[in-house]
Amino acid sequence: MSGRLLGQDAAVLGAAGVEVGTLRDIEQWAFRSVSRPAGARVVDAHCHLGVDRDGHALSADDLVADLDAAGIAAAVAFPADEPGPGGDFSQANQRVLDAAAAHADRIIPFCRVDPAVGAERAMDRAHAGGARGLKLHPVAQRFAPESDACVHAVRHAADLGWPVLFHAGFGARPLGPAFAALLEQVPTARVILAHGGRGDHRSLAAVAARYPHVVFDTSIAALPDLATIPPERVVFGSDRPYGDHAQALHLVGAAARVAGWDEVALRGVLGGNLMRLLGDGGAA
Amino acid sequence: MSTADGLRVVTLAAQAEMALVRRDQVAGPLLAQAARAADGTPAGRLLREASAMVRGAPEREAVRQAALSLCRMALQDAHAQVLGAAS
Repeated sequence: MSGRLLGQDAAVLGAAGVEVGTLRDIEQWAFRSVSRPAGARVVDAHCHLGVDRDGHALSADDLVADLDAAGIAAAVAFPADEPGPGGDFSQANQRVLDAAAAHADRIIPFCRVDPAVGAERAMDRAHAGGARGLKLHPVAQRFAPESDACVHAVRHAADLGWPVLFHAGFGARPLGPAFAALLEQVPTARVILAHGGRGDHRSLAAVAARYPHVVFDTSIAALPDLATIPPERVVFGSDRPYGDHAQALHLVGAAARVAGWDEVALRGVLGGNLMRLLGDGGAA
Repeated sequence: MSTADGLRVVTLAAQAEMALVRRDQVAGPLLAQAARAADGTPAGRLLREASAMVRGAPEREAVRQAALSLCRMALQDAHAQVLGAAS
């Protein structure tokens, strides 16, 4: 029996007086709430490793334990918001690359940059180290998706063959016009809009409809948003450690029932769509 | 559950979710209200557990995060109920 429970240390929950057995029953119920097609390889598109400046933390060993508990084959992981002096993510990126090397086939490393802080050089270094994509957070790093620096970073990611995962959740700015301007300049970019684009979903969905390589991840997404997106444009994600795999899988199960996703669609959402975006030909 | 009942649970669970994210002490009362509103449904069980956890150890970070997970699952169930596909 795993020592992890809903992404937490079960012993810590027990010491706090939580009914661990009841919680474990709920977690198993949530894991079963999505009908996994036979042989489907589930891959999580959205996990952070390290210690965020807001206090959230996740180690590679704990992430792999969480994946094992939920029956998830692999996860995309990138640094938490823990830049070094001057806003450079080089050390955090190297830690993610080291984690991927230590957990071969379980952790798919993405690098994270501030587009205004030596982004191209940092991306090249990460690419040489085995990174498979780029994570950008316009709110945390305080840049506009349509800014020159961001356009340059996304264009360079496209040149490297990388998808780019953007935070598209909580934030005040309208996102649709910003991403329309970005994609107009880099129309071939493969973009993952995190959190179902809940920060401005209706506007983002209209923009995404014009660009076939733009998808939405399910991490901490709103069910009414997910249920209206074509399933081939949806990739499973958890947002660990801000979310956990039980509620992430439960959300996909609920969306599948509401939207009527068939087995082919569900196989894609759970991993196939992401692997195609990564250039792995839908191996899931 | 009627649409009005479902929307009541959605509203309360969404407010509780944000209160948990913001570490606001109003999360406890909101979870209790949501649990009563969802009584007799799968969401009600999740919200009842979350409410009890937060009431028992409101200052523990692991408890907050586990309660947040339960609250989000309850919100997903309530959304599905309103959209016509209860789990």
